[in-house]
Amino acid sequence: MITARKLPKITIDLEKCTVPFLCKKCLQICPTAVFHVERVKAKEERLKEMDPRVDGNYVLFAPRRDKCIVCNKCIEVCPVDAIKIEVA
Amino acid sequence: MCYLCDEYGDPEYGNGIWYLNPTNYARNMYKLREPSKGLSGAGLFLEGGVHGGPGLPELLEAQEKGDRQEYDRIRQTMHNNTFTGGGSQVLPLKDADKVLELCSPIGLIGCICRKAVRAIDERNEEEYTCMGMGVGMLKWERWPERYKGGVKFVNIDEAKEWNHKMDKRGFCHLLMLFGAPYIGGFCQCDYPDCLAIRSAVDFGVGLLKSHYVAEVDYDKCNGCGVCVQRCQFGALKLELTSEKANIDQFKCYGCGLCETGCPRGAIKLVERKSLPALAEVWT
Repeated sequence: MITARKLPKITIDLEKCTVPFLCKKCLQICPTAVFHVERVKAKEERLKEMDPRVDGNYVLFAPRRDKCIVCNKCIEVCPVDAIKIEVA
Repeated sequence: MCYLCDEYGDPEYGNGIWYLNPTNYARNMYKLREPSKGLSGAGLFLEGGVHGGPGLPELLEAQEKGDRQEYDRIRQTMHNNTFTGGGSQVLPLKDADKVLELCSPIGLIGCICRKAVRAIDERNEEEYTCMGMGVGMLKWERWPERYKGGVKFVNIDEAKEWNHKMDKRGFCHLLMLFGAPYIGGFCQCDYPDCLAIRSAVDFGVGLLKSHYVAEVDYDKCNGCGVCVQRCQFGALKLELTSEKANIDQFKCYGCGLCETGCPRGAIKLVERKSLPALAEVWT
C-alpha cells in the first residue's frame, strides 16, 4: 500500500562530512536508521582496505529518506553542520 | 513450492529442501572472480538495483508520485533480480543446525549491514554477528576491506554453539545466497540494521520465508509476551481480550525465534505446506 507523499530531501555536504565512519553520530542516533555509510566507490579502490580516519574514504548518504520523521536529531548531533533536511 | 527448492532441491537430500542439498555448498564457490564491476552487498539494494535494474531510488520516486503500478513493477523486478545474484531465506534454529553440518569451512566474521547502517565495526569473535561458509571463505584475504575485522574459523560444534547463543540473544537466522544456488553466508539479523530483513519488512523484497510457520498453543500460552519482543517481522502481538499471543501467519517468516524463546513451550513451528493458504506464501 502506498500513498503519494513528498519525502523529505536530505542533503549531506561531503566537503564538511569527511570521516563519517569515525564520527558515526548521525548513523547511531537516527531512530529510523535513515543513513548509510559506505567506502568510497572508486573502482580501482574496491579491493583495498580503507582507513576510516582518512578524509573521503567513506561516504555518508541517506538512502532511506522514506523513513525520515524529520526529528532533526542528526542535524543537532552533527559536529560539522553537514546535514540539511528539506520538507516539501 | 519454494522457488529455490524447485530449482535447486534434490529429492535425495532433506526431502528436496534446497539448502539441505550438499552440492549447493561447493561447486563454483572458489572461482576467483574479477573484482566486481558493479555494486555488491548493500549496494545492490541501495543504488541502481541489481544488474542495472531499478533500485531503491526509483522505488521511492514511484512512492512519491503515488504511482502504485510503477511501484509494484519496480518492487517485483528488484525481488526477482535479487535472486539472480544474492537473496536469502529465513532458517529456523533446527534447520540451521543441519546446514552447519553440511558446509566447510565455517568462518565467523563482522556484519556488513551493521557496518553500513550503524557504522558498527565488529572486530573479534565476541562481536561477530555474521558467518561466511563454504570454500569461498578460503579466499577471504582478497577482500581486506570486507574482512577488516578478521575471520575466526570454527568447527561444526563451535558454529552451532555460536548460533544457539545468537538465537538466545534474539537474532533471526538468514541463509544467504552468493549467486543462486550457491550458499555462502549465514547471518544473524534484526530490524532495522539488517538490510535483508529491512527490505523484506518494508518492501517485501529479497527474502524468502522459511518452510515453516509458527503456531500458538492457547492452552499453554500464559500471555507473558516474551515472544512479542523476539519477533522481527511485526507478526506477533498480545491479543488483549484473551491475554494470549497472537500470530499473523501471513506476516510470519517462520524463523522460530518465538518458539525458542517461549518459556512454556507454547509455540511450535508447523510445516508451511501443511497449511494450504500459506503453502505458496514466500514473501
